Amino acid sequence: MNLRPILLLAFAASLTGGATLAATNYASERAAIVARYAAEAKQANPNFHGFSADAGKAFFLAHPGTGRPETPSCTTCHTTSPRNYGRTRAGKQLLPVAVSRTPARFTNLTKVERWFKRNCNTVYGRTCTAQEKGNYITFMESQ
Amino acid sequence: MQQPAMILRESLAVLRAQARNGTPVWDLGVRLFHWLLVASVTIAALTGFFAQRSALQLHLIAGGIIAALIGFRIVWGLLGGGYARFASFAFSPPSVLAYGRQMIAGRTARYLGHNPLGGLMVFALLAVLTLIVLTGTVTLGGLVKQGPLAFATSFAGGAQAIGLHKLLSLLLVAMIAAHLWGVWFESRREGENLVVAMVTGAKSHIEADPPRWKAHRRLATLICIALGAAGTFGITALANLPGLGVPPATQDPVYAEQCGACHLAYPPSLMPAAAWSGILDHLGHHFGEDASLDAPTIAHLRAYLAANSAEHWDTLPAVRLRSSIDPADPMRITATRFWRNMHRRIPAATFASPKVSSRASCEACHRDAATGRFAPQKIEIPEASE
Repeated sequence: MNLRPILLLAFAASLTGGATLAATNYASERAAIVARYAAEAKQANPNFHGFSADAGKAFFLAHPGTGRPETPSCTTCHTTSPRNYGRTRAGKQLLPVAVSRTPARFTNLTKVERWFKRNCNTVYGRTCTAQEKGNYITFMESQ
Repeated sequence: MQQPAMILRESLAVLRAQARNGTPVWDLGVRLFHWLLVASVTIAALTGFFAQRSALQLHLIAGGIIAALIGFRIVWGLLGGGYARFASFAFSPPSVLAYGRQMIAGRTARYLGHNPLGGLMVFALLAVLTLIVLTGTVTLGGLVKQGPLAFATSFAGGAQAIGLHKLLSLLLVAMIAAHLWGVWFESRREGENLVVAMVTGAKSHIEADPPRWKAHRRLATLICIALGAAGTFGITALANLPGLGVPPATQDPVYAEQCGACHLAYPPSLMPAAAWSGILDHLGHHFGEDASLDAPTIAHLRAYLAANSAEHWDTLPAVRLRSSIDPADPMRITATRFWRNMHRRIPAATFASPKVSSRASCEACHRDAATGRFAPQKIEIPEASE
């Protein structure tokens, strides 16, 4: 009996299945993080109406002037399009922030919190609200 | 274009005639040895005295060829025939002195092979070349942590050896000058171009007893092949041993992930423990960035960096960087005297170019930056114009 077609088919199926599973996992993990920020935002503001990709975009492109001079905007490192590769001031390449380009973005709460803490501080000179974080992720999901 | 070709053809014809009509003196082994040595010593001297560090590989290849040539010449000096044999030009000290006195007085006899002073120069050149190869190998082992002695040579040992290597190389230049003067002097006195004789192998206008020694060609070839194989195998095996005081190539995974997120996870061996400690104390203000981490991660990194800082290693970057910290900016590698000195010839445009973009991206030019070794052969500087 020729096993080759069966093996090939099984291989292809497992690849597709694995990729789909990973994508589903990323999506559900990201949804959990967004839901967490939604709950926090609701607690802070009873009139919370959900997250806005447009507000996230404005937040991403803004030059607030309240952070550190080396990093006036998110775009300093991430460029004006989240679909682009970015570059740190030390010269290291950054994966695109856009979820379509880097599916693993915003799927690890510890990491997400670490980077919001650091980058909100350097660009905005303060911590970000749950509303801002949720807007930001929603914008990146739309890209 | 026709004229140079014609001159070349005529010169070759003259050389061939000379070789046919003269008395054979220098066999093929001696002549090949001589001219290959001239070529490899020239390359080694040019790369050693004048070239940038990135020319090290060429210098090492030339040095390796010189070592092989010395090995061949010793075998051929013991087993070769006629005037190739060491015994044919090993004169006693009194006879060398006597020859020197006669030469000054202007009444020396002619020698078909080496005269006593010339013979002494051959031995001296071989001895000095051997010492240069040896001190070079110690230097390579101690300073670059490469080659057969890297496993056993400290940086301090390499630093001492390079002084001797340079001194001996200057001595060699002086000896080559003396050798050339001797060739010129004897050529004039004998009325025979000795440089041409070393090309054709033949000398004329002279009567001498035929050389006493028979060449053991087959035995010499076998010994050369055996020595070459054993030498190559031994040197490769020794060179593959871990270098003395060289940090492991792999990093702590937490360090690699956390510190490698924004920049090359700088090998801990590049900075002293005090600098790493200071960096961990100020992560909120990390060279203009906020790189703050939770306390358990910081504690983990502190232990790793303290155990792997520059004080623990013996590589050139570790030794040089830890001793040239800028007290005004003690946490910045690019502020050290050593870093600034090593990069003084790199134009600012190169650092600003898209492929580099920052003085902090070591890996843009040092392809082995992650290992902390920074070998001269691994430097590839991108064009600034791109």
